[in-house]
Amino acid sequence: MENENTVKDVDSMGSVVVEKLTKDFSGVTVLQNINLDIKEGEFFALLGPSGCGKTTTMRCIAGFEKPTSGVIRIGEKVINGLTPNQRNCGMVFQSYALFPHMNVFDNVAYSLNVKRLKGSNVLKKMATYTRMLNSRLVKYPKDIEKKVRDILEYVELTEHAKKLTSALSGGQQQRVALARALVMEPEVLLMDEPLSNLDQKLRHTMRNTIRKIQQDLKITTIFVTHDQEEAMSMADRVAVMNEGEILQIGTPTDLYSNPRTPFIADFVGTSNIIPGEMLDPEDGLSVIQIGNQVVKSVSTADKKAVQVIIRPENINVLKEESKEYDNSFEGEILFATYLGSIVRYDIKVGDYTLTADTTYESGKNILKAGTSVKLGVSPERVLLI
Amino acid sequence: MKWLKRNFTGIGIVKLVIYAFFILFLIIPLLSVFLVSFTNEPINLFGSLISMETLQHTVSQFTHATVDNFKSVFSNGTYFSALLNSLRLSFLVSIIVLIVCVPIAYGIARTKMPFKKTISALCTIPLIVPTFISAYAFIIMFGRAGWVTYLYNSLGGEGFLIDPYSFTGIVLVQVFFFFPYALWPMVATFKVSDVSLEEASRNMGSKSWLTFVTVTFPLAIPGMLSTALVIFAVSFSDFGTPIILAPTDLNLLVVEAYREIAGFFNWGGAAILTVIMIAVAGFVFWLQNHFFKGKDYGALSGKPKQVKMNDNKLLSGSLSVFAGFVVLVPLLAMLTVFMQSIATTWGVDPLPAGYTLNHYKDIFTNSLGNIQNSIILALGALVLSIIIATFVSYFVVRQNSTGLDFMTTVPLIVPGIAFGIALIQTFNTAPLQLTGTAAILIIAYSIRRLPYMVRSTVGTMKSIKGDIEEAAVNLGASTLTAAVTVIGPLMLPGIAAGSILVFITVIKETSITILMAPAEWAPMSLAIFQNILRAEYYSAAAMSIVLVVLVLVLQAIANRFSRKEL
Ligand SMILES: Nc1ncnc2c1ncn2[C@@H]1O[C@H](COP(=O)(O)OP(=O)(O)OP(=O)(O)O)[C@@H](O)[C@H]1O
Ligand SMILES: [Mg+2]
Repeated sequence: MENENTVKDVDSMGSVVVEKLTKDFSGVTVLQNINLDIKEGEFFALLGPSGCGKTTTMRCIAGFEKPTSGVIRIGEKVINGLTPNQRNCGMVFQSYALFPHMNVFDNVAYSLNVKRLKGSNVLKKMATYTRMLNSRLVKYPKDIEKKVRDILEYVELTEHAKKLTSALSGGQQQRVALARALVMEPEVLLMDEPLSNLDQKLRHTMRNTIRKIQQDLKITTIFVTHDQEEAMSMADRVAVMNEGEILQIGTPTDLYSNPRTPFIADFVGTSNIIPGEMLDPEDGLSVIQIGNQVVKSVSTADKKAVQVIIRPENINVLKEESKEYDNSFEGEILFATYLGSIVRYDIKVGDYTLTADTTYESGKNILKAGTSVKLGVSPERVLLI
Repeated sequence: MKWLKRNFTGIGIVKLVIYAFFILFLIIPLLSVFLVSFTNEPINLFGSLISMETLQHTVSQFTHATVDNFKSVFSNGTYFSALLNSLRLSFLVSIIVLIVCVPIAYGIARTKMPFKKTISALCTIPLIVPTFISAYAFIIMFGRAGWVTYLYNSLGGEGFLIDPYSFTGIVLVQVFFFFPYALWPMVATFKVSDVSLEEASRNMGSKSWLTFVTVTFPLAIPGMLSTALVIFAVSFSDFGTPIILAPTDLNLLVVEAYREIAGFFNWGGAAILTVIMIAVAGFVFWLQNHFFKGKDYGALSGKPKQVKMNDNKLLSGSLSVFAGFVVLVPLLAMLTVFMQSIATTWGVDPLPAGYTLNHYKDIFTNSLGNIQNSIILALGALVLSIIIATFVSYFVVRQNSTGLDFMTTVPLIVPGIAFGIALIQTFNTAPLQLTGTAAILIIAYSIRRLPYMVRSTVGTMKSIKGDIEEAAVNLGASTLTAAVTVIGPLMLPGIAAGSILVFITVIKETSITILMAPAEWAPMSLAIFQNILRAEYYSAAAMSIVLVVLVLVLQAIANRFSRKEL
């Protein structure tokens, strides 16, 4: 084992490559031709709606599901044939899956105990087994003790070490799960919707905590979520999945500004998506007919029927007509939602209802329903798919 | 090759070992009893595997196999009448139990019957007492020197009120000691019966008794039939009552089978009777599962609703009197055993001549060994069934092992005496000569009581979420290590609950004990049985009381455990 490690190309040690992964459950295809190339130290998010196969993908990497076809590599090593306990992938389960009969310390020490079972003599084995069943009977060796203490301190759980996990809050349990996975120094950290059981506020704190730990340790991390905000704010790169397929992989900004399909545009942030028809270009700008209006855009498409995509924050709500924007429409406010720092308007324009976000300035009135407004959009902000 | 690789992991080996255990001690014995019913002489299956000579002998046995035995069931009057008598007994008992239970169950579920709590509590007595002790209690109540007989005679009656050594005696013991098995399911049925239907009927002007006869009762019929089948099975495989009470001219399958093997070493005869017993018990089990599965409780109605209590004073009063009488009989029986245990002598009188604790002293000086044996054997069976049940429930819940699920259901069906005969027959020669050892006794006990344990552990296993185990494996543990260090400890409550049940039932176990226990390993139940046969009633009584108290204590501990669980 030791030798293999040294032979390995250090740069690609924690990289994860998934090639042509397909998974059937009794004839039903759940994953189709999944390809991922995750770099070492990268924070990679799998994003998609419920039931799209995120968990299944992760479980294939962890070894809990056997791929129907395809290759999975960690570093240079093909791991398809390895059992889950040989893969060295730390996993944080959605429900945390902490061992309820053990205290925090014993939970975290579990993988170190297991490591000790391998290749030691019978007596040592017995001692370790006994300790795993009841840690009061056999003391921890110094090295394990230290490692666990260090990681508990790192996740700020030192004073909870002797508590049963059921006595901890959600966020603390989450950190135990994280510490338990990290202490085995995994090549890859897998997290399946780790924040979904936490309340709104804690979720924000934990996002930062997880991101910070990931940056500190530079550990390759695959993070599964159906919350686009979570994925976009934490990950280096995001893969958007739907119905067992990967639609697009890119950095958060890339996905946001250049969604490849309307589905992604809608899923990654809010979008106004309107079907239109391409006319002949004018002044180097595409011209699209929507109802009896035309919209100009810098982006191009090589088909006639297109989807026009405009992000809500790119629609400027104006009192009077402005020459500043090449695209200008008239509309009527239907509904205003106050969202703290922004105000979101639903605005009727022709046959469509558009969503527009404006920053809220104190002292300024929120426009009432029924108010007539002008909308301005610059062609740079109009995307065609 | 692939198969070998997949199964040659730690946990895979454990699974194979457990399968081997069931095949060796359950399937092969049952199979060989079936074969012996054709060959008429014991066959040595294990010997045939290792010795050519034995194999040749076995083959020649098979060439001489006949169906004469099966024919003789119908031509030989004894076997056929044994079958008929047994069926008649179980049929009568289940019918009478139903009739007895309907009013009591209605009283408990639907009326404000006086003494409801006391009556309910007394209903547990019959469940604690092994049937051969109940039967023996009936002898000292209704027998020649019994106090009931004395009262009856002094009121002008002639001879016995009821002769305990008769078909009627057996029916009565079984009715009074098996009725709680039917009572509680029936109470549940009446509690959940569709109240809205009843109200509809009452709105249309029906009197409450009419509502009961036309609505409540018919709705409960499927549940009652299912319960009747349970009683039928319990009565059919009961060994304790008939072995004590059956007069020589009354053939019953269990008694006949016991005599054939213990008295005459008639292997063929015992085998054919065993096959018949298993066939009948299997048929009843099949009936119950096929027709009544899920029909016993809630299926009658939707959700349980607030039950309307019948507050007719006269009705609840008479129900209370009736229920009181039914629970009084087992209580009096046990009191009688207790009186006998502290009596100097007790002739044909209402009360003993004097009182003494000598019988207890006697037991604790001379028969301490029996108590020890009981405990050691029960502990042995306990450890074995804990280990097997834990792994079996793992395989059944996590790996969907239908094979092991089936294996642990079989002992529920096979009557104890039948299983005992099968084991004796299979293991009475080399290379696996285990008959007469404590080991085979422990194995027999644990297999027979394994279903209780498995039921308890499967429940707990189901409540342990799968990702807990996956987490352990993800952290590097092998499946076996995960099972031992994570699943095992989490199963402890389920194991504890099952353990006490196994321990109690093993201490009470009669048929296997009487058939298989060697003299040097005689447990309490065997000692009591032999004392009854030798008419040493005083020591039998004292030992019975010790046994019942032991069971009571354990039961109390079990109740505390299960309450904590809730
Ligand atoms: N063991 C299984 N057997 C059969 N079908 C399964 C199994 N596991 C998952 N599936 C199916 O595969 C599909 C993908 O499931 P998966 O759990 O990967 O979704 P997910 O993207 O993680 O969803 P969620 O966000 O709800 O957790 C679902 O349609 C699911 O029903
Ligand atoms: Mg999921």
